[in-house]
Amino acid sequence: MPATDYTYPSVYFAYLFFTLSFLLAIYFFIRSRKDGYWGDQAEDAKYQIFEEDESHRRTP
Amino acid sequence: MQPQFSKAEAANAPEGAILHDDATAKWFLVSSVAYFFIVGIIAVIIAAKFVWPDLMGTMSWLTYGRLRPLHVNGMLFGWLLAADMGLAYYVIPRLCGVKLWSEKLGLATAALWNVIILGAVVTLLAGVNQGWEYAELPWYLDVLVVVAWIMFGINIFMTVANRKYQAMYVTIWYTMGCILWTAFVYLTGNFATLFATGTNQANLNWMYVHNAVGLIFTPIGLAIAYYFIPRASNTPLHSHKLSMVGFWSLAFVYVWTGAHHMLHGPISQWLQTISIAFSLMLLIPVWAVVYNLFATMKGQWHQLRESVPLKFLMSGVVFYLLTCFQGPMHSLRTVNAIVSKTDWIPGHAHMAVLGCFSFFAIAGTYYAVPRIWNKALHSDSLANWSYWMLMIGGLGFFTTLWLGGFWQGWQWNNVSIPFIDTVIALKPIWIVRFVSGLMMFTGIVLFAYNILATALGNPEEAAV
Repeated sequence: MPATDYTYPSVYFAYLFFTLSFLLAIYFFIRSRKDGYWGDQAEDAKYQIFEEDESHRRTP
Repeated sequence: MQPQFSKAEAANAPEGAILHDDATAKWFLVSSVAYFFIVGIIAVIIAAKFVWPDLMGTMSWLTYGRLRPLHVNGMLFGWLLAADMGLAYYVIPRLCGVKLWSEKLGLATAALWNVIILGAVVTLLAGVNQGWEYAELPWYLDVLVVVAWIMFGINIFMTVANRKYQAMYVTIWYTMGCILWTAFVYLTGNFATLFATGTNQANLNWMYVHNAVGLIFTPIGLAIAYYFIPRASNTPLHSHKLSMVGFWSLAFVYVWTGAHHMLHGPISQWLQTISIAFSLMLLIPVWAVVYNLFATMKGQWHQLRESVPLKFLMSGVVFYLLTCFQGPMHSLRTVNAIVSKTDWIPGHAHMAVLGCFSFFAIAGTYYAVPRIWNKALHSDSLANWSYWMLMIGGLGFFTTLWLGGFWQGWQWNNVSIPFIDTVIALKPIWIVRFVSGLMMFTGIVLFAYNILATALGNPEEAAV
C-alpha cells in the first residue's frame, strides 16, 4: 500500500460514524420508551401543535 | 427588516403570550427564495444545453460541466436546505413554547450560510470542484458548512432543551435527527471520501449521496410536513405513535442503502444484497408516514380547494410515496440493469427533491411568511398559478425522464446500437424536458415574486 493511501483509515472513520449513529439510535429509542412515547399518553404530543396562541395577531 | 410585531400589538398580546422575533427565519427564507429563482435560471440553461449543446459557446464559465454542479449545489444548499433551516427556526420555538434560544446566533448562521452559497457560486463557476457528486464544494467551504451546521444545531438543541412541554412532537424528533445525521453524513461524504481510493472511495461517496437525500432532506422535509399539514388543515395528526414508527424505522434502515447505486459494479455481492434488502425495508417508514398524513386529511380534503399550502403539502406526500416506491423497485438487480445511469435517475431524483421536499418547503414558506411579517399574502391567485405551473411542469419533467430513461436503458442493453445513436434518439425527450423546465421555472418566478412582494411590500397592504 502506498504511504499516501488513507483508504483504510477513512473507511474505519466512516464505520466509526456508523457505529456511533447506531448506538445513539439504540440509546434514544430505549429512552423514548421510558419517556412514554409508546404508551397510553403517546398521543398527547400531537395536540401541542395547536397550543401556540398567536390569535392576538392579525390573521393573514 | 421590519420587526414582526408593533409596540401596540405587543401591548395587546394576552398575558404570557410569546412574541417570536423570527428574524433568523426571515433572513433564511428570503435568501433561500432568492437562490431558488437565481439557480432556477441555471436549471433552465442546462436543460436548454441538452437540446442545443452549442448554446453559450465555449466560454469555460458557462459550460455544462460547471453549471450543472452549481445547479445541484445551489438547489440543494442555497434553496432547499436554507428554506428548511428557516422553517425550522420558525417551527421549533413554537412547538417548544419558548423563544428561539439565540436570534443573534441565528442571524450569524444566516450570514455565514450566505457567504457559503456565494462562495459556492464563485468557486464552482471558476471550475474549483472536488469532482464528487453532491460534494463538489472545495474543502474550505466544507469547513464553513460544518461551522454553520454546528451553530444551527446548538440553537435548535438549546431551544428544545428549554422547552415548555415535556413531550416532543414528531417534528422536533425529525429536526434533531436531521441535525445529528447530517453531521455524520456530511463529514463522511466531504472529508473521509477524499482520503479513500478506488472502490471504497466510490462506495463512501454513494453512501453520502443517498443519505444526503435520506438522512438530511427526508427528515427535515418530513418535520415540515408533520407540522404544516395539521396546522394548515387545523386538524390533529392521525397518530403520533405511528409517526414514531416512521421515525425509528428511518433511523435504523436508511444508512445502508447507498450501495444500491453501485449494483452490477465492482463491489462485493454481499454489500449489494444488503443495500437491496435495506432499500426494500424503506417501504416501512414510507408507508407509516404516508398513511399517517393521508389519514390526518380524512374528511378534510375539501380544504385543498382554498389552501395553496395544503395543495403543495399533499401533492408532496403523493410524490413522496411515488419516489419512495420507485427507489426500492429500481434497487432490484433486474430493474437496475435497465434504468441505472439513464435519464430515469434524474427523473427520480427531481421527484424527490423538487416534487416532494421542495413542495413541502414551498408550502411552509407560503404558510409562514405572511404570519411572520404579519401581512396578507401578496396574491392568492399568483400562489395558485405557482402551484399549477410547478405541478404540471414537474409531472411533464418526471414522466418524460422516466420514459426516456427506460428507452435509453433498453438501447444501452442492445450492443448493436452505437452509443451516439442513443444520444440522438433522446432529443425529443430533452425538448419536452426543456419545455417542462420552463413551466417549472415560471412557477418558481411566481412563487419568489409572491413571497418577496409579501415580505417587502408596503405595510398598508396588510390584511386587517
